Amino acid sequence: MAVQLMQEKWQGVISTVTIGATKEDGGSRSSTIKIGAEESLPCLFKEGAIPNKPRVAFEVWDVPPVDWPRELSQEFSDSLNDPFVWAGKCIKDYNAELICLRLQGAHPDYQDKSPEEEAAFIKEFIRRVNLPLIILGCGDDAKDNLLLPACSEAARGERCLIGNATQENYKAIAASAMADGHSIIAESPIDVNIAKQLNILICDTGLPLERIVIDPTIGALGYGLEYAYSIMERARLAALSGDKTLASPFICFVGQEAWRAKEAKSGEPSQGVMWEVITAASLIQAGADLLVMRHPDAAVKAGKFIDKLFYKK
Amino acid sequence: MNRYKVTFYPDNKVVEVVEGTTILSAAISCGVYINSPCSGDGVCGKCKVMVIDEDGKGRLSLACTSRIHQDFRVDVPLESRLELDPEIKNAAFESQEAEFKSVDSSGLGFKHDPLSKKIYLDLQSLDTGETLSDLDRLCCAVSKASGISPLQANLFNIRYLGELLRSCGWKVTVTLAKKNNGYEIILIEPQDNSANNFGLSFDIGTTTISGQLINLNKGVILGSRIAYNSQAIFGADVITRIIYSGKEGGLEKLHNLVSVTINQMIKELVEGCRVSLNDLTSIVCSGNTTMIHLLLKINPAYIRIDPYLPVANSIPPLRASEAGININPRGLLYCVPGVASYVGGDITAGILSSRLYKMKDLSLLIDIGTNGEVALGNEEFIVASAASAGPAFEGSGLTCGMRALTGAIESIKIKPDDFSVSYSVIGNVKACGICGSGYISLLSGMLSSGIIDKSGKITNTANKRLRASDSGCEFIVAFGAETNTGEDIVITEADIENLKRAKAAVYSALSVLIRHMNFKIEDIRNIFIAGGFGTSLDIDSAVRIGLLPDLERKRFSFIGNSALAGARDVLLSSQAHDETEEIARKVTYFELSNDSAYMDEYMAALFFPHTDLSRFPSFKS
Repeated sequence: MAVQLMQEKWQGVISTVTIGATKEDGGSRSSTIKIGAEESLPCLFKEGAIPNKPRVAFEVWDVPPVDWPRELSQEFSDSLNDPFVWAGKCIKDYNAELICLRLQGAHPDYQDKSPEEEAAFIKEFIRRVNLPLIILGCGDDAKDNLLLPACSEAARGERCLIGNATQENYKAIAASAMADGHSIIAESPIDVNIAKQLNILICDTGLPLERIVIDPTIGALGYGLEYAYSIMERARLAALSGDKTLASPFICFVGQEAWRAKEAKSGEPSQGVMWEVITAASLIQAGADLLVMRHPDAAVKAGKFIDKLFYKK
Repeated sequence: MNRYKVTFYPDNKVVEVVEGTTILSAAISCGVYINSPCSGDGVCGKCKVMVIDEDGKGRLSLACTSRIHQDFRVDVPLESRLELDPEIKNAAFESQEAEFKSVDSSGLGFKHDPLSKKIYLDLQSLDTGETLSDLDRLCCAVSKASGISPLQANLFNIRYLGELLRSCGWKVTVTLAKKNNGYEIILIEPQDNSANNFGLSFDIGTTTISGQLINLNKGVILGSRIAYNSQAIFGADVITRIIYSGKEGGLEKLHNLVSVTINQMIKELVEGCRVSLNDLTSIVCSGNTTMIHLLLKINPAYIRIDPYLPVANSIPPLRASEAGININPRGLLYCVPGVASYVGGDITAGILSSRLYKMKDLSLLIDIGTNGEVALGNEEFIVASAASAGPAFEGSGLTCGMRALTGAIESIKIKPDDFSVSYSVIGNVKACGICGSGYISLLSGMLSSGIIDKSGKITNTANKRLRASDSGCEFIVAFGAETNTGEDIVITEADIENLKRAKAAVYSALSVLIRHMNFKIEDIRNIFIAGGFGTSLDIDSAVRIGLLPDLERKRFSFIGNSALAGARDVLLSSQAHDETEEIARKVTYFELSNDSAYMDEYMAALFFPHTDLSRFPSFKS
């Protein structure tokens, strides 16, 4: 007699978030990307539909990063000085399908670029790069409050993913994303409850849940990865059990965290790349839908890992 | 060393102190009680007084940090005083007395059988008396008259018995008091004094002490008194008091403060009701475990050390005089038994007076005080927990918080279109601050008018009532021109955070308890709410902010000070007394700090009303 496998029946489904708008959708992107829509836990294909693969986004900065370790920066060499060349390299050499543009130059401690300057840059970037876009602020709550609405307007109609909205500054970001047709990233500090609270608060402003992606905040391998894993798992279990306020896809800033690990910067050949890949691979199994990565080799390896996991699809 | 004279107004009390004494300790030494929840650490800012120098100029100072270097006058403003004005005393009790009657008339009352009773006996007419000793003769007569036979007597009474009986012609009044499953002859008086039998019921709260004088023969309340627990000058909550009791002479001081307050209240009661102190034959006290320890001068230190054990939960009846309480020197003191360190006799009394332990349906008792206690159960079982909610709902630790007394804003309405505010103040005077029920209606109003979001952040800043301050944004409830002090009455984001934590602690305690017993919140048929803010609490607002569960409003009932009501039931009925023992044994204490689900529940409740909106269907947007 054949063994009957235990199968969980889930009531909930993760919402589908679309990034990028093609001509038909009123934008100018060459393609669109759909994430989310899972009806079961990661890789348990038999328990429910998992129509969308996790996706990898290549991180590009508006200004040359000053504190990136050599192992990471040498891969891009001169292209780091020009965001258009940098993005072009990701597309041409590594088949990037999604760019995550970080406006680090606006940070008061970096170059303190004005929202107008950055908005003009966004317009130019959209004209020259036609992939779907994630647009990140500089990480300073007060500045992002001014910066992100300006960028949202500049990217109007392109259905970008804009972030990060926190408990402190979600209002302005949610309002402008709603007006300009974007989705937003809701950031919470490794805390299921705050993730949930922030989703509720953002929905209260009128932005539908289907336009929110959760950044649960992660730690790299050896730096709290397990903690992030269990928080994502808890949120996903709650969402699949029917809690709509947590049923958003996850975005994980893998590159940012992995390259902070001292092991990644040790100088050992390919250790940093592997650090980033393993962090990404673990989080994919926790339910990550979107991985923002820095090293192109790591991004390519993570992509191959995803294809193997999803070979049936 | 120089000595200076300080005069306190409006008491008009003068005290001479050595140079460098703080105003606070000068005030304590002459019996002027100034509010000081932080026990004089200079951090709470609640002991503000007006120091008036020679040329009549006033300067606002903190009593705990200002030292005396010259003669001067100190005006203690209303909001810094640790006393209740008579109007409030009466108002607070009117409702309770009405409630007392309604409970009795509903037929749930106990059999009238007071803990101490007086019987008049004429021993001459006893026919079998010839060969019996005086004591046997007395016992025999008692058992004939009352049916009570297993008697204890003590040497004090036996020594005087012979002379007493013969000098008053064998006509005596015997007072019997319940003790150790039997009765003790506590008092023998000449002639017939059986009509004068009175007792006291007291609730010793961390913040407030309430007491009632009761005619034991008739079961009628003759008078009520309420006073602040003057231990509050050494800290607002039980933990600071326990810490203080560990300092040199601390236990002694705390004990004296509470017994002096009780004795003063007793004095006022007997004078007001024209009763002799000697006719007070018993007193029943309910209070949390720490308060009972301090009343009896038992070291409470072990209550706050793991595994959190009190010295005693159930205290046998004692001579009241041993605890320093002035009633008849032979009179007995009964303490309502407690369950555990943080679920004390006040909760046992609350369970008794709410009749929770007789309910067929699942019922919940919530006592919202400095410690939020919850008891869940029915006639078959009871579980209880305590959550440290903190004193926010008693108005402590908030920018403009105050207790529910004259001058406190007790309810607030906000117009959603222009945020204009209308409020009502206890005693219809100019507002001094906001009390617990005021904060609950304020938060609820701010939520529904969109001034704050569900996390308690002020979101809308374009209004004259909203402004930035050191501790985040603040909302002006009353402008300086309308208030007693001339300063604006405000609520800050930090206050909201504080209140949010307090309500989350209470709600999560009850929700963990309910889930632990495998029930759903909807299963609760009766919810009894006890505590300081009594009648002015608006249930809808309390549910709106997530303090109380979202159930049909008719399932809720206010029972006011249930600890005092329970103490009174015990005093008047030996059956009720036995039942408190039973309740205390029956209640299972559920320690929240050991429960992993509590922290999750607490975090999930840190939202208005809750992150799980399905639990609050009335407010689903």
